[in-house]
Amino acid sequence: MMLGATHLTMPFLASLDFATLPQQIINGLLSGSIYALIALGYTMVYGILKLINFAHGEVFMLGAYTALFVSYFFGFEPNSPYHATSVWYLVVMILASMTVSGLAGVIIEKVAYRPLRNQARIASLITAIGMSTLLQFGGQLFLPNSPPPNIDQRINPFSQQIKFNLVPHDSSLLAQLNVLKVTKSQADSAWKTRQKLETDTFSPSPEGVRIRSAAQEADRHFQDLSSRYQTSGVTVQMALGRIVTIIITIILMIGLTYLVLFTRQGRAMRAVSHDFDSASLMGVNVNSVVTFTFIIGSVLAGAAAMMDATLYQPGLQINTFFGLLPGVKAFVAAVLGGIGNIPGAVVGGLLMGVLESLVGWCGYTGWQDAAAFVVLIVVLLVRPAGILGSNEVEKV
Amino acid sequence: MTTGESAITPQTGGFVPKLNLGMFFGVRTVSILATVLFCVGIDFFSGPQFMSRYAAGLIFLCGTYVALSVSLNLINGITGQFSIGHFAFFQIGAYTAAGCSKAFYATMHLPTLEWLVLMAIAGSITAAIAGFVVGLPSLRLRGDYLAIVTLGFGEIIRIATENITYLGGSKGIDITPHYQSIALIMLLAVGCIALSRNLLKTAFGLGFLAVREDEVAAVAMGVNVTRIKVLAFIIGSAFAGAAGALYAHKYGFIIPDQFKMDGSFIVLTMVILGGTGSVTGSILAAIILTLLPELLRDLHNVSFGGLIATALMVLVATFGIKRVIDTHFDLLKMKWLSALGVLAACVIGEIIIKMLLDLFPHVRTHAPIDGAQLRMVIYAATLVIVMLLRPQGMFAHHEFSWTWVKKVLHSKTAVKS
Amino acid sequence: MKLNNCSRIQFLAGALFIGAIVAGCNPSTTTSTDTSSGNTSSGSASGTVKRPAMATDKPVVASGNTIKIGVVASISGDQKPWGEDSVNGAKLAVDEFNKAGGLNGKQVEMDVQDSQSSPQVAKSAADKAISDGVIGIVGEVSSGNTIEIANSCFEAAIPDVAVGATKTTLTDIGNNVFRVCYTDAFQGPVMANFAYTTLGLHKVAVMTDNKLPYSQGLSQDFETAFLKLGGTIVDEEKYESGASSFTTQLTNLQAKDPEGIFCSGYFTEVGPIVAAARAMGLSVPMFGGDGWDSPKILQSGGQAILKDCYFCNHYTNEDPSPAVQSFLAKWKTAYGGVPGTTMGALGYDAMAVTLQALKDGGKADSVSLRNALANISDFKGVSGDITLKGAHGNPPKRALVVQIGPMTAKGFQKPVKAYVPGPDGQVLDSKLQ
Repeated sequence: MMLGATHLTMPFLASLDFATLPQQIINGLLSGSIYALIALGYTMVYGILKLINFAHGEVFMLGAYTALFVSYFFGFEPNSPYHATSVWYLVVMILASMTVSGLAGVIIEKVAYRPLRNQARIASLITAIGMSTLLQFGGQLFLPNSPPPNIDQRINPFSQQIKFNLVPHDSSLLAQLNVLKVTKSQADSAWKTRQKLETDTFSPSPEGVRIRSAAQEADRHFQDLSSRYQTSGVTVQMALGRIVTIIITIILMIGLTYLVLFTRQGRAMRAVSHDFDSASLMGVNVNSVVTFTFIIGSVLAGAAAMMDATLYQPGLQINTFFGLLPGVKAFVAAVLGGIGNIPGAVVGGLLMGVLESLVGWCGYTGWQDAAAFVVLIVVLLVRPAGILGSNEVEKV
Repeated sequence: MTTGESAITPQTGGFVPKLNLGMFFGVRTVSILATVLFCVGIDFFSGPQFMSRYAAGLIFLCGTYVALSVSLNLINGITGQFSIGHFAFFQIGAYTAAGCSKAFYATMHLPTLEWLVLMAIAGSITAAIAGFVVGLPSLRLRGDYLAIVTLGFGEIIRIATENITYLGGSKGIDITPHYQSIALIMLLAVGCIALSRNLLKTAFGLGFLAVREDEVAAVAMGVNVTRIKVLAFIIGSAFAGAAGALYAHKYGFIIPDQFKMDGSFIVLTMVILGGTGSVTGSILAAIILTLLPELLRDLHNVSFGGLIATALMVLVATFGIKRVIDTHFDLLKMKWLSALGVLAACVIGEIIIKMLLDLFPHVRTHAPIDGAQLRMVIYAATLVIVMLLRPQGMFAHHEFSWTWVKKVLHSKTAVKS
Repeated sequence: MKLNNCSRIQFLAGALFIGAIVAGCNPSTTTSTDTSSGNTSSGSASGTVKRPAMATDKPVVASGNTIKIGVVASISGDQKPWGEDSVNGAKLAVDEFNKAGGLNGKQVEMDVQDSQSSPQVAKSAADKAISDGVIGIVGEVSSGNTIEIANSCFEAAIPDVAVGATKTTLTDIGNNVFRVCYTDAFQGPVMANFAYTTLGLHKVAVMTDNKLPYSQGLSQDFETAFLKLGGTIVDEEKYESGASSFTTQLTNLQAKDPEGIFCSGYFTEVGPIVAAARAMGLSVPMFGGDGWDSPKILQSGGQAILKDCYFCNHYTNEDPSPAVQSFLAKWKTAYGGVPGTTMGALGYDAMAVTLQALKDGGKADSVSLRNALANISDFKGVSGDITLKGAHGNPPKRALVVQIGPMTAKGFQKPVKAYVPGPDGQVLDSKLQ
């Protein structure tokens, strides 16, 4: 059996491309930040109510649609003429998303969860699933869904790619590369001037074909050497928008930590999550604490949605079902980190992002979604408390 | 089909090895004959000379969903294990049957019905193994976590079938004996119902109820909780798998997209609407929720304004009725009257709001909505409304039984005389 | 909770089960082969596989005063642009036919059913139309949906004329299946030729939509042809319809440094893929098949798709030929503007061919309709000449490779090269005219 294992793993390991590994890990950390923001909502609600808020993914979806409609308001409708963008548009969009998501979270709590608070937890869970499905399919009737709209990419002012050089490239190739570059530009300009004489640039005369082939040949040589140069070292790149996303995420998390640790409301939240009934006996207004928790969680989800659709993946297509999968993955992230535990949600989110990237890196891109569920089952069977969770009741 | 005995008294007659040809065997023979007649009869009357292919297909779907919801009820309602990934077993059964048919049907020359029975058995075996696997976490996990794990299992199975090219990938599998057997699916449904009902009349079956009510007390009373939980999953999934096998042959092709999470959700709604723990409830809810969206198919032009008005009024009605339920009335009649009053007010409100909304040009000129799109919305709304208003479902823990019929008849005659 | 023997066995069984699933898949570096069995077979060149004959003993006869022809299209869902255009085009043809007198005075009525961009709904839509008594069905655009419609039509013994389905094995389902567009067996080599010869790309990466039979078939046809020309495929990546993130695939792809990228999917995903690729710094030419055809691709593709992006299409609104111009004039009168996708013209052609066959056959029943369809020769369609006689249901049509540019009054596609099929199935250059 050991021999069989090595027989299977060796060719598999050989087929992996270790040069792209740092890039995939970076991608994973960046996508993990989005999962972390959503996971915070799940973990806080679970810490207080012991309820898995299935409808959280739909709150995320509503935040994205809000960002879409705000962008329409600012003139970025589909097929609209060129429009200069500004950071203030993004600021308004994120604030609007956060507001609408917060409102949605509160309404869902009041309508679906509060009436059932005194009954078995299963009842709330079933209702949560029902609300989630209702919002998805009900939203389909009222919101533009098919073909799915997307926020115009021109609204993103942070579209440049930032590159970091991890392992320096082979500088000896640089000289050769420059020579080939000169040849290539000469051949290209020869073809450009020739194109003006041709009636059909895509079906040129025999002379034109000769010049075009020469240009393409030079191009290919340059490309070959260029890729050899690239593979001789390791460079990672990230879009500036993604860096902005992670910065905003960090700011939001610092804000949340401050809120939970140093303010009165935060103390009340911690008290309620520790023991629901005793907290109410101590004079804490439990209902307002629950509402407050839902607001905070949903606000974070709204911010995540706006950033996902605008900065992180410009041009992301949104439909009423697109909150489902990130919601489930974020939930798994929360469980992975220790449900009820705020730093755990962040750690879990980042881990989920990296794990997903790695699964795709191995070539199993179709299995990326299944990876989340497998992680869930493994965690729940092996260590249900999660990574940062402890085996006792104390959370947050 | 059993005699009119109350659910609590266990059987004593059958264990004595004396040939007692009386009520016992008589009733059982009649039951089996009635079942066979029923299945063959329905199959005959749904043939092409009596009704269209479309209607026959509907009857088949009803049978499938009855089997699914009763088997889910066994896991959720009777044993109290919260499983929401039931469609995974359905899919496993379907794919097993498809794979076996693709590989072996051409070489084995069996008549169609025998082959279908074989496929149903094959489907139920693989699904039972899967149920066994899913039963593992149920031993260690609490209610909501178990729910997520079962949901996750369902999704893993679906994604696996999409990515494994041997199982057809996203193109699915074409199935050769493309045959819709209503007799077999009805037999399966009846078998499922019979098993659920009869299980609760045995001492062993009462253990299932004990596990639902209080696990600790059950263990203290000597009930093997482990065995019962896993057995519940195995039996429930076996029936779902057999249903899946027959479903696959009816369609002639299966693709992973047919088995999305939505399907599990629909079966769950049926169980909740009918009442967890009530077999009768599951049957009725399954039939209602299968036929209802078909009525919507002919509604091609639902006006947008009407839709918004209806949605708003349903919301108001739900909370109004919840208020009525929570208020303490002296007479039950008062409660019913108030509830009806709320409903009437809401219907009037809907008409008024719709007229008001139609004044807005944006609403008036909005494209009309096809009734078929409302299907999942209605399922989801049903689930939420049932959970808010009457979480125990239509039938709570009650069942239809001949004793109840006798009681009603006697009370009616008693009143008369 | 102590792990007794029972639990240990269960754990092992579970691990074996999961292991069996995981072991069942292999690192997906090869595109899947055509595994569908049953009525479809994997013959790639047209005419090599014998088509099963449709039953002719019980023809569906049009009863009453109207002749019903079913139209199954995706009027809702992701493929709405194609569905709407094909229904509108078909309607133009029907209105013309009825105005000219119909068939011996009998008018033709369209029975439109929505397939909601999904194969299962397409099947029940076809079944509904069949139960309404149609003598033939015109539909659909997406190959996955059309396969289900064709199977239903074969069982019901009525002909099916596909509007834009290009999957090669579609017409192998039965001799009742026809189409008015080219097949992937032609489209793949066309794009391979264009990439290798015209663009001069010798190392190409391929992005396939693993959920669409169309995309898998087209990728395979492209790769075979490209390898035959002497090129190399440096990377193959897969995604699923409906996916929103392609970062992993594009990162893997970028590491292999392709000179060009072939995306064989639908516009719904290709737009975001192109945008994401360009944002990551992949400035190489990107090209694909007729699945790209929709103005929506400009929205999701943004600025990225206006540079160096080409795809293979059926015809273009800028064609000065009288057939196209008169069609555009008719469309403008009926609906205003121009059809957004080529499915307007193909829908018109599909219905027009069906109505021509109806007239040729003379009788309003399914068997005579099928026989007449099988004899259609040199029908002058908007999208080109259509000959179904002896063609295995696949008319030899011209393919136009177009470049994507900004939206103008006439559209956003600029034709750059034309190809026609040769007598032996090769790809021949043709005049753009």
